[in-house]
Amino acid sequence: MSTPVTDDDILARWRHEPAPLLPVLHAFHDRDGFLSEEAIRCVAKGLRIPLAELYGTVTFYHFFQRFPPGKAAPRVCDGPICALHGCADVLAALRKDGATPMPCAGRCDEPVPVLVGDRQRVADRDGRLEDRATPLPPPRPDGGAECVFARVREPGRATLAGYRAGGGYAGLQRAVRELTPAQVLDLIDASGLAGRGGAGFPTGRKWRAVAEAAGGPKTIVCNADEGEPGCFKDRVLLDHDPHAILEGMAIAARATGATRGFVYLRYEYPHTQGILERAIAEAEAAGLLGESILGTGFSFRVYVRRGAGAYICGEETSLLNSLEGKHPFPRNRPPFPVTHGFEDQPTAVNNVETLCSAGPILARGAEWYRGLGMGNHAGTKVISLSGDVRRPGNYEVPLGLPLATLLHGWAGGPLPGRKVQAVTMAGLSGGFLAGADLDVTLDEPSLRAKGSFLGAGGIMVFDDTRDMVEVAAQAMHFFAHESCGKCFPCRIGTQRLTERLERRAGPGDPATWRREVEDIGRTMKATSACGLGMAAPLVTESLLRYFGPQVEAHLRDRPSGGEAHPA
Amino acid sequence: MTETAPIPTKTQRASTLVLDGVEVPFQDGESLYQVAQRHRSEVPTLCYDPRLDAFGACRLCVVEVEGFRTPVASCTTRAAAGMKVRTRTDALEQHRKTLLELVASESRDSGDAHGKGTPGHVDPLRGYASQELATLTARYAVDGTRFAGAHSGRSHREDDNPFLLRDYDLCISCYRCVRVCAEREGDHAISVANRGFHTQITTEFGGKLLDSSCTFCGQCVQTCPTGALADRKAMRNAGQPGELTKTRTVCPYCGVGCSVDIVTRGERIVAVQPAMDGPANEGALCVKGQFAWDHVQHPERLKTPLVRDAAGRLVPASWDEALGRAAAGFAKALREHGDESIYAIASGRAPHESAYTIQKLIRAAAGTNFVDNCSRA
Repeated sequence: MSTPVTDDDILARWRHEPAPLLPVLHAFHDRDGFLSEEAIRCVAKGLRIPLAELYGTVTFYHFFQRFPPGKAAPRVCDGPICALHGCADVLAALRKDGATPMPCAGRCDEPVPVLVGDRQRVADRDGRLEDRATPLPPPRPDGGAECVFARVREPGRATLAGYRAGGGYAGLQRAVRELTPAQVLDLIDASGLAGRGGAGFPTGRKWRAVAEAAGGPKTIVCNADEGEPGCFKDRVLLDHDPHAILEGMAIAARATGATRGFVYLRYEYPHTQGILERAIAEAEAAGLLGESILGTGFSFRVYVRRGAGAYICGEETSLLNSLEGKHPFPRNRPPFPVTHGFEDQPTAVNNVETLCSAGPILARGAEWYRGLGMGNHAGTKVISLSGDVRRPGNYEVPLGLPLATLLHGWAGGPLPGRKVQAVTMAGLSGGFLAGADLDVTLDEPSLRAKGSFLGAGGIMVFDDTRDMVEVAAQAMHFFAHESCGKCFPCRIGTQRLTERLERRAGPGDPATWRREVEDIGRTMKATSACGLGMAAPLVTESLLRYFGPQVEAHLRDRPSGGEAHPA
Repeated sequence: MTETAPIPTKTQRASTLVLDGVEVPFQDGESLYQVAQRHRSEVPTLCYDPRLDAFGACRLCVVEVEGFRTPVASCTTRAAAGMKVRTRTDALEQHRKTLLELVASESRDSGDAHGKGTPGHVDPLRGYASQELATLTARYAVDGTRFAGAHSGRSHREDDNPFLLRDYDLCISCYRCVRVCAEREGDHAISVANRGFHTQITTEFGGKLLDSSCTFCGQCVQTCPTGALADRKAMRNAGQPGELTKTRTVCPYCGVGCSVDIVTRGERIVAVQPAMDGPANEGALCVKGQFAWDHVQHPERLKTPLVRDAAGRLVPASWDEALGRAAAGFAKALREHGDESIYAIASGRAPHESAYTIQKLIRAAAGTNFVDNCSRA
């Protein structure tokens, strides 16, 4: 351990691995605490990346520090929920250590997370830090059947022995020993499983497209870049059920003919990398991953790659560019990743929760999974519920469950004496629901009819003590902070909407203000290049729909400076 | 930028789609933007340069395609048989105006005299494509008053290279400069730093161009649609009265044969711009062709022949005297040392006509091929 790690050691370790840039940058970042000019020059030379391009790419990620104190300085979550729980106090208390804010770090069920070096800790308002394990989901209150959470609360579940004791890897065994790849695809199709990361694309169709696409090697990517504010569902699966993810990836590989896989893990979950790597090593040693899985000719290797802080990298084509070491702008589609994904070869990018569903579906059948939903809706969805409710946490709900049942029945409703004023949907991306529109069921058709969507399943609750204009301003600030800067409507639009909500610029007259905000939003929704820019204006749209009078009062009480602030 | 994509011939597989109600043919692989351009649909764009991969940043070129939920960027969408495409509906035109209002709101006033009052106005001497933004804001009657807020770019006045003005106060982050540098030049001297509204065009570590791998070819200047990157030499002549005239010629510096337009005002050369339709260069130039024209009007340039006097000093002389002296010298050398005693090297700074004449002289007068050009490639 005392031998210093040289530049050459780092390059030699990673140069011949797939997707080497992020791990190489992390190795320098970990060794030096920041990415020095010398380190960037060394990486550019070692991996043959043009220097200016690498420099630009490094600056894209907000956790790569260029100067001391670098990664040692605390980062305090200032996401929407942490804002309700005194993150400003935490930040002030830790300012002496060089603390700066970071966007939602996915611990809204137990705020306020603080990232210190390679540990995510939890702070109280005075800045006292504690190490705590990722909270387990509360038991399903109505005792109904779950899919991905069915066994997650069992002790030792994260180990291979614990996972197998609960019937783990039975799905993979069936997929490899009893079924052909075509039969696996048919089974997933029949289950009705659809993408649980937000887009809701049918998983069977995605896998089939990869299976049928020409070229290779084919790749399975587990999107564990859970960056949506108010979403912390993948975290519990990653930390407590890593083998379920690996089993799902291996089933996907079996179905599609993929030979390599990546887990793209968000930076904010540093401890999770070790959990995943230990699980991979265990599975490989047991012949469940790697060469010749279960003694057959089927081989599939999985690599963990850690992101460096960029919400847009949860968008699948940005994620692929990031993996490839390119600037993480989204790609133009078509072509889609199923034909032109990682290194331009067929690739299935699936969310953690989607992959975790595959094992139980293979083991228990398509009908079983379909039957978990309500009415015509197939299966379940994990909802990350946070904010002003008595029992925040992750709940695996049957699709089609009334929102009111989740809020008031399962989670205990608002705090005493308070009322639910509004909830967000899809983390922040679905905007707000309020008033009569809270009478919805948790499924896409019901929510889309209200101009929103379920997305990745983050629901944040704001009671009647909250200033919704301020919540909207913080939300838009997040989107502006995370806009990648590629397409004009998002890059400029999120900035202008933030300025208008924060009253830093823009007209004071409510009618003019509303026209500007609506015009920007309409054009962003219609013309943005990816989901970020299309979803961000749902925040202002729904704010104006439900909280028009509050907006007018806000404009009256806080006159704008009326002049442009420098960037 | 305008583009002339080839019209499909009978031998190529041509399918058709419906463009604004008219059935039109297209070639496999063409984008909707290319098809629309060829049919003069005047779809606006700011991030498109026909020499570069379609990028899809500005979204001005969005069109409606039947069956698609939202408009699509025509530059990144491939034409497909049977598509029904609308390039100019009220909704599209409204989105374009809003986008241009957003763009106009993010950059500062150029300070140039040319076109003052129009958002995006810049002196045309800044570069070949520099009028694109101002042309569009005028076309869409964008007055620059809406969506006021922070400005996005930051000019690098400290970058004291002699060729490229980095006036990023006017930058709209279309990244045409970054893409032309990478895709066409292979220099990768500049890239995009940061995210979102804070993106900046940067060299490695944010330094000066002279310390980067920039070759000063000027391609970034000529593709910039706002004049944020400008031709510093040309800008010495900015804001002066008189029409600009472009004269097509071929760069004399080497054997590639790049087409250039010499931009003149009255009798003076004020800039050189690449010819986008030049068959040898398709708009590309190098630092010499782009920027090395100062000598033509240099105050210290010789205006009369010089001959040496008895003491060996150079003194002004008439052309007759100078030519007589030169001819006598050549004749003497030939007489005393033979045909192969003369070797002529023409200057790359001389016009083609002079280069032609010098080889004619050597071949005809000396009867040898002992002739060359200093910048022969």
